[in-house]
Amino acid sequence: MSRDAILGRIREALSVKTDPHVREVAKQSSHSLPVLANGPDGRTQAVKEFLPFVGESLEDHIAAFNVLSDKLQTEFIVVPTIDSARQTLDQLRQKHQWERVGIHDHELVQSCVDQLPVEFLNTSSNYDAHALEKCDVGISGCDALIAQTASALVTNHSAGGRALSVLPPHHVVVADASQMVTTMADGFAMIREKHHEQWPSFISFITGPSRTADIERVLVLGAHGPKKLTIIMISE
Amino acid sequence: MSQSTNPTTQFQTDANRVTADVDRRSFLRSSLRGYQTTRDATQERFLNYESARIAAGDAKWEAIENLDVYLAQFADKLEARGATVHWCSDSEEARDAILDIIKKHDAKSVIKSKCMTTEEIHLNDLLEKEGFEVVESDLGEFIVQLRDEAPYHFVFPAMHLKKEEINTLFQEKLKSINTDDPEELTMVAREVLRQKYLSADIGISGANFGVAETGMISITENEGNARLTTSLPKVHIALMGIEKIIPRLEDLALMLPMLATAGTGQHLTCYNSQLGGPRQDDESDGPVEMHVVLLDNHRTRLLADPEQRDALRCIRCGACLNVCPIFKNVGGHTYGTTYQGPIGSVITPHLRGLKDWKHLSHSSSLCGACSETCPVKIDLHHHLLRNRRDAAGKGQGGLAERTLMLGFTIVMRRPWLYRLTGRLGKLGHVLTKPIHGTRIDPFYAWKKTRDLDDPAKQSFKQYWKSRK
Repeated sequence: MSRDAILGRIREALSVKTDPHVREVAKQSSHSLPVLANGPDGRTQAVKEFLPFVGESLEDHIAAFNVLSDKLQTEFIVVPTIDSARQTLDQLRQKHQWERVGIHDHELVQSCVDQLPVEFLNTSSNYDAHALEKCDVGISGCDALIAQTASALVTNHSAGGRALSVLPPHHVVVADASQMVTTMADGFAMIREKHHEQWPSFISFITGPSRTADIERVLVLGAHGPKKLTIIMISE
Repeated sequence: MSQSTNPTTQFQTDANRVTADVDRRSFLRSSLRGYQTTRDATQERFLNYESARIAAGDAKWEAIENLDVYLAQFADKLEARGATVHWCSDSEEARDAILDIIKKHDAKSVIKSKCMTTEEIHLNDLLEKEGFEVVESDLGEFIVQLRDEAPYHFVFPAMHLKKEEINTLFQEKLKSINTDDPEELTMVAREVLRQKYLSADIGISGANFGVAETGMISITENEGNARLTTSLPKVHIALMGIEKIIPRLEDLALMLPMLATAGTGQHLTCYNSQLGGPRQDDESDGPVEMHVVLLDNHRTRLLADPEQRDALRCIRCGACLNVCPIFKNVGGHTYGTTYQGPIGSVITPHLRGLKDWKHLSHSSSLCGACSETCPVKIDLHHHLLRNRRDAAGKGQGGLAERTLMLGFTIVMRRPWLYRLTGRLGKLGHVLTKPIHGTRIDPFYAWKKTRDLDDPAKQSFKQYWKSRK
C-alpha cells in the first residue's frame, strides 16, 4: 500500500523534468577540468584519476599506507614471514599483558596465534558477547588493505563476525601483502568476486582506531570501539 | 527555543540573543577555523577535487532522477536478504512502524546511534513517553540528550559546549568525577554506554547511503557506536530518508571519501560499514531481525519541484554550515529546525511549509560560500533566492513588504515622483539624523545596527547632465 503510494508520488514528481539550468550548474566549474565520462564510468574514473594518488607498485602502496597510518595512529607493522608475525604478536601480548584473546576460524589468524599462551575466545560460532567484551584484544583477518585510505576492509566472514573487530579495546588485523589494493573500489571488486553476489550481511572499512572530537574538537581515541588498531602485514 | 511561538519570531529573538554573546561566538568561530584548516589540507591531497565533486554530484543526480527505480530495487534486494522494509509517508507512520517493532519484541531498552531523521520524526519523545529507556550513543548526541537539548549542528551536535559545561553536566547526571579533560570525559561516557550496548534489546541507526544495486545501507561514523548498535542488540532498525539512495556499490568508493573530506576534513571516517540484512545462516553474530524504515515526509514534495529537487542530493556532510556566516553568528539552535544552516534553510520550507519557514531564506548574505563548498555541488544560495521568489509570488511577504513594493512601483513609474522622493529622502535623512538608531526613528528596525552615509551632494542624474 504505502510502497505503491510513495513510488507513485515519486513517479508523478519525476514526470516533470529537472530544470536544465539547475542540472547544468552541477557540472560547471571555474577551473578547466578534464572531460568526465557520463554516468557510472565517470565515477569509476573519478576514483582512479581524481582521488589521492598512491602509486602503482606494492612498495608505493606500503609507503602510502604507512604515511596515513601514522596520521591515523594505526600501528602498521610489516613483517617478512608468518614466523615473524607470530613473534610480533607475542611481543604485543607481553607489552599489553593480554590474557584473553578473541579470535576466529581464519587460516592466517590461526597460524599466527597458535603458540600464544593466552585464553582464547572463538567468535566463529555462537559466542557470549559479555565474554568478548572482557577480552583484551580481538585478532582478525581481513579481505583487503586499501592503500588510498589506509583501511582494512573486513566482512563478517573475514573478521569473525560483526563484533570481534569492534568490542575489545584493541583490534589486531593480520594480512598478506597480496591483499593490498589501490582504492576502495578495488576492495569492493574483491568482495564481489569472492562472494559471487552472495553478499555478507556486514562489510566495513576500518580506518584507524575509534575516535571522537565531540568535546571541543579535541581528538580522543577509543570513543566506543578499540583504542588501538594494529595491522600486521606479512610481506612474503 | 520555545516551540509554541511562531518560528519567525523565535528566530529573531534567538538570533539577537546569540549574536550578543560574543564569547560563545568566538568559541564557535575558532572551532570552525580548525575544521577549515584540516579540510583544506585533505582536499589538497586529491589529484582533482573539483572533478571529484562533479562526479559525486552526478551519482546523486542519477539516483534522484531515477528514484522510483532505484528505491524499489533497494527494497527488493534488502527483502531478498531477509530484512523487512517499511514504507512510511510521514512522521506518524514511521513512529508507529518503529513502535510496533519494539512492542512486538517486548523490548525494554533501546540504544541509538546518530540519526538526524529520528530527530525529524521526534522519535525519542514518543519512545520515552511510552516508557522505554532510549540512549543516544554518539558522544555529542549523548551530551545534548543529557542536557535535554536538540543537536546544535547535524554533524557536530555538541560543538557549542565547553568542556567545563560538560564536566558540570556529567557530574550532575552521571555522578562522574570532576574533570575538564576531554579524554577523561570521553572515557566516562564510554563506560556508561558499554553496558547499554550489551543490555539493549533494540538498536536504532540511521543510514548515510542506501545502495540500490546490492540492497545495503551504509553508515559512516568515527566512534564505533553505530557498529556496536548494529551488532549486539537482537533487532536492528534503520530509519532512512528516501533520498539517501545511490545506484551502485562502487559509487561508495567516491562518496565516502567525499563525505569525510567535506564533513570533518578527514580523508576517510573511521568506520564505513555496509549492512545488508540480518545475521545470515552462515554468520556467527549480528541481529536476528533487520528493519529498514523508509521515510517520505514531504521529500516527494521537494522532488516535485524541478529546480529545488537538487537539494535532495544532499549527503548531510554539514560543510555548508561550517562556512556559513549566518550559522557562525546565530548558531544552530536559532534555526529551530532539524537541519540547520544553508541546507536547512533551503529544505525546511518544503518539508514543513513555506509560510512559517521562509524567514530562513531571508537570513542569508547570499555570499555563495555554501554552494562553493558543497561536495555534490548543490546550488544552495540560488535556492534561497528561489524560496524568496516563491514566497513573494504567493503573496506571503506580509503587509509591510507589499505596501513597500506597491509604493516602489508607483514611484519608479513616475519620473517626477522619483525626483521628488529623492529630494524628500535627503531632507528626511538630515531631519532624522539627531534621532538615528533610537526608538523614535521611523526606520529603527533597520537603522539600529546600521549607519547611513550622507547622500552625495550631486545625484547621478545631475552629474550625468553636467558631464555633457
